[in-house]
Amino acid sequence: MKVLVFGEVIDGEVQNITYELVACAKKLGECVTLVTSDADVSSIDGRVIKVNAGEPNPWHYKIVEKVVEKENPDLILFGNTSVSVDIASQLSAKMEMPVATMVYEVEGGDGEVKARSIAYGGKVIVELSMKTPAIAVVNVGSYEAEEGKGSASVEEVSLEELGVSDGVEFVSYIRPSEEDVDISKAEIVVSVGRGIGDEANIEMAEELAELLGGVVAGSRPVIDQGWLPKTRQVGRSGKTVTGKLYLALGISGATEHVEGVKAKNVIAVNTDRTAPIFRISRCGAVADIMELVPVLIDKIREIKG
Amino acid sequence: MKICAILRLVPDLVEELEVEENEVIPFRYMPNERDEHAVEEALILKEKVGDAEVEVIGIADPDNEADLDEGLGMAAAKGADKLYKVILDRPTFKRAEVAKALAEFLKDKNYDVIFTGIQAIDAFAGNLGGMLACYLEMPYIGGVVEVNSEDGKLDVRKELGGGLLAEYKVPLPAVIGVVSAERPLKFVPFTKLRQAMKKAEIEEVELELPEFEGIEVVKYEVPPEPEITLLEGDVEEIADRLIEVLKEISVL
Repeated sequence: MKVLVFGEVIDGEVQNITYELVACAKKLGECVTLVTSDADVSSIDGRVIKVNAGEPNPWHYKIVEKVVEKENPDLILFGNTSVSVDIASQLSAKMEMPVATMVYEVEGGDGEVKARSIAYGGKVIVELSMKTPAIAVVNVGSYEAEEGKGSASVEEVSLEELGVSDGVEFVSYIRPSEEDVDISKAEIVVSVGRGIGDEANIEMAEELAELLGGVVAGSRPVIDQGWLPKTRQVGRSGKTVTGKLYLALGISGATEHVEGVKAKNVIAVNTDRTAPIFRISRCGAVADIMELVPVLIDKIREIKG
Repeated sequence: MKICAILRLVPDLVEELEVEENEVIPFRYMPNERDEHAVEEALILKEKVGDAEVEVIGIADPDNEADLDEGLGMAAAKGADKLYKVILDRPTFKRAEVAKALAEFLKDKNYDVIFTGIQAIDAFAGNLGGMLACYLEMPYIGGVVEVNSEDGKLDVRKELGGGLLAEYKVPLPAVIGVVSAERPLKFVPFTKLRQAMKKAEIEEVELELPEFEGIEVVKYEVPPEPEITLLEGDVEEIADRLIEVLKEISVL
């Protein structure tokens, strides 16, 4: 099976998802990676096609289309990321190819691809069968990255040769503010989700975080409400936490959230015993955080004197 | 400026899902949260532009179309100018079928901007926004958190992950995939919502879906139970056990 990987580059850096997809592709057969921005691609294993079309842009699907026409892959792999999803969805419609999204496992077959997706907020696994050529949009962290083993043979192709262009114009990167605490560097993170219920209850999480010597963070619904600043968001769009403890309070654990949870220990509290967050936890409690956390705070205060 | 926002329904995960090998049966449906943000961003753009109108297109199928009324009523209460309820002739998991049918419906409506949420919890076979844009032959950009109108183009901010954003200029007409509106969803008191739902005129449209082949669901299944034993019952006992764990990992 021939697999084309869409290599993601942001700000001149090949993103880790590219190496994960290459690892996936190599399990399935022959791998070719397409990169549409200027970057050092020497760490990518196997053949690389490089088209310098500037910074990431949704119109790059037109480049992928041209390369697919030339290379005839059986499967095209994209990361389930902001940059790549834009391209995958347009490409699938343009080339009338079946597409599986939220994928965590891909298997090749004769003229078909099987993909397993985790959908419905992590509560249902969907096994899909697609006729080739097909597209799979793979979740971050589904395959172990193979970085640094590269022996890339790079083939550079110009935009003029491909004859593609589009009107969406990249202007600039906007970097995150560094004024707030950096949750990605915190050893202990007390994180709140939709289950916190009300902005006033954030104070309770702050009190617990202070007692544990940590910081408060949140999942997207809390950030969307404006209850915590954007700098405190954990997950695909926010930061990745890597410290000693991630205490998830009222967080269901959707895929895009758990992508940002790489802490050594995860403890989760949720009223829903089927919440996907429990699947990545060392310890889980089925309880209402509004009842449990005040008791926990009192007991920790007693211990600390 | 003529603005449109798409509002889809998704299963309400607060309620139990019945998962069978060949189908997922939700207890009830609710508006897709990312689409609610798309509607909000459409209304924000209307406020910014001034001379603009927002039309909200709700999408449902015959089994769940009644669940759409509250979402459409909410859009009306917040300032939407026109409401459509598009009823697909059958349920489908294939986003390409929905995108194609919707593109046919939208192509003569002369919208300058079409907003849609970037994702939905049941979108395991494609994402609507990019597909819709392609069928309408419009540019698309997703992951958007802010939109401004400038010199006949849209100036948008897109999330790239890890807190990094990028600014893009998008020619019109365009399809914009919203991840979060630039302000929290506006709160609508229940009485105002009831009034809006009573007054709202919703134009119903039935759409026939095309049939796309090449992808099938082999089966649905519930993920395996977590390997840990969950603590349940008395909160005092749970708190004691959590403290033991916090001690084990040297946090206390």
